[in-house]
Amino acid sequence: MRHAPKRGVDATLRNAVEPILSAVRAHRFGHGEGGSAPSDGEAEADVLAAVEREAAAVHKRLARDGGVFAAEFLGATGSGKTALVEALLDRRPDGERAAVIAGDVAGDDDATRYRSHGVPVVDVTTGTDCHLDPARVGRAIDELDLGGLDRLFVENVGNMVCPADFPLGASLRVVVVSVTEGDDVVRKHPLVFQACDLVVINKTDIAGAVGADVARMREDARAIAPETPVVATSAETGAGIDRLRRLLDRGPESHGDGYDHDHDHGSGANRADERRR
Amino acid sequence: MHELTAANRLLEAALEAASERNAGRIDRLTVELGTATHLTADQLRFCLDAITEGTAAAEATVEFDRVEPAGACECGWSGPTEPIDGVVPDAPSLRCPDCGRRLSLRAGRECRLSAIEIPERTETEQ
Ligand SMILES: Nc1nc2c(ncn2[C@@H]2O[C@H](COP(=O)(O)OP(=O)(O)OP(=O)(O)O)[C@@H](O)[C@H]2O)c(=O)[nH]1
Ligand SMILES: [Mg+2]
Ligand SMILES: [Zn+2]
Repeated sequence: MRHAPKRGVDATLRNAVEPILSAVRAHRFGHGEGGSAPSDGEAEADVLAAVEREAAAVHKRLARDGGVFAAEFLGATGSGKTALVEALLDRRPDGERAAVIAGDVAGDDDATRYRSHGVPVVDVTTGTDCHLDPARVGRAIDELDLGGLDRLFVENVGNMVCPADFPLGASLRVVVVSVTEGDDVVRKHPLVFQACDLVVINKTDIAGAVGADVARMREDARAIAPETPVVATSAETGAGIDRLRRLLDRGPESHGDGYDHDHDHGSGANRADERRR
Repeated sequence: MHELTAANRLLEAALEAASERNAGRIDRLTVELGTATHLTADQLRFCLDAITEGTAAAEATVEFDRVEPAGACECGWSGPTEPIDGVVPDAPSLRCPDCGRRLSLRAGRECRLSAIEIPERTETEQ
């Protein structure tokens, strides 16, 4: 009865139903063949894979149809996601057209902050949900004129756990932690670092004051997410912000190949497209 | 918690499978659950218990198969990953033991309805 159905990339949850059922009625399968290691080009029609397909559809609208480079900022509450995106907005090159999708459980404080930078802002309140999802981002995009945009920032709800399992369709996922969460914050949340393309350690200006060892945080990030760039920043002093901007411009090429098709991003399959921008 | 989202999708797939075969009842759901996700079997079971009420799966036994992470590298290495030293919530080491490059995960991130059990067919179909 246990059975690891093999399906094509385009399989939907609906298509998954038939092999599951016929396995039950036709046969009792052994739990063999590793059970769960799809070969190249195959996607699992499972819950998280379904979310990734939804994210890939959002990604296609943004990157391929709209020519918009989207960066998602996620991470601990208060780590400085909004402050960093504001700093990036302040430094955007002349003529670059940016917009922000601001996710929050309640309120519109972040949206108000973003609006003061003169960019279009879509405020998404998630209510009881602890993360944005591709459907919500898709609806938020409906409110934007993608043709008139070059860059989109998406701020996820402050949370170090749930967003890891829910890619949104951005070209790049950026996880932001700060020294005030303690210098063991990276090793306490390994999966979120593995799900992201860029790690930001923020508030380095007060690392000494809170007794945090930034080098240790860096080491942890390297051990947990090999090949993922790490940048130390201060939204307060501006340290590291230019490097952050350059890393965003470079796009998600750092993981190389093989990481793409089954990675947690949903956008992974389309990475090659992003490099051209 | 996003276990509820996941549970809803699993139940939807199971109910659809059952109704396509005119099964009025689902006796068992089997879910493959990777350990490199934030979804936990306990919470999924709790959510499934709550949402199956009043559906064909109300009496179903829910069974989880844990799937341990496995990776593959461009260099040709593939196999089960090691846990990362000193990292408390278990996470797979994504560094290739052979060449040091980053592995791609091939297992450990699933949350998949792998089987359902329904009563034996009673009338002839197709
Ligand atoms: N000293 C210092 N303070 C900072 C820095 N970055 C942000 N802050 C402060 O930290 C607080 C939280 O910053 P936000 O940018 O609102 O953090 P956030 O991650 O967007 O928070 P949520 O949206 O609530 O999850 C604010 O008071 C900021 O002024 C920094 O680099 N250094
Ligand atoms: Mg914020
Ligand atoms: Zn290797």
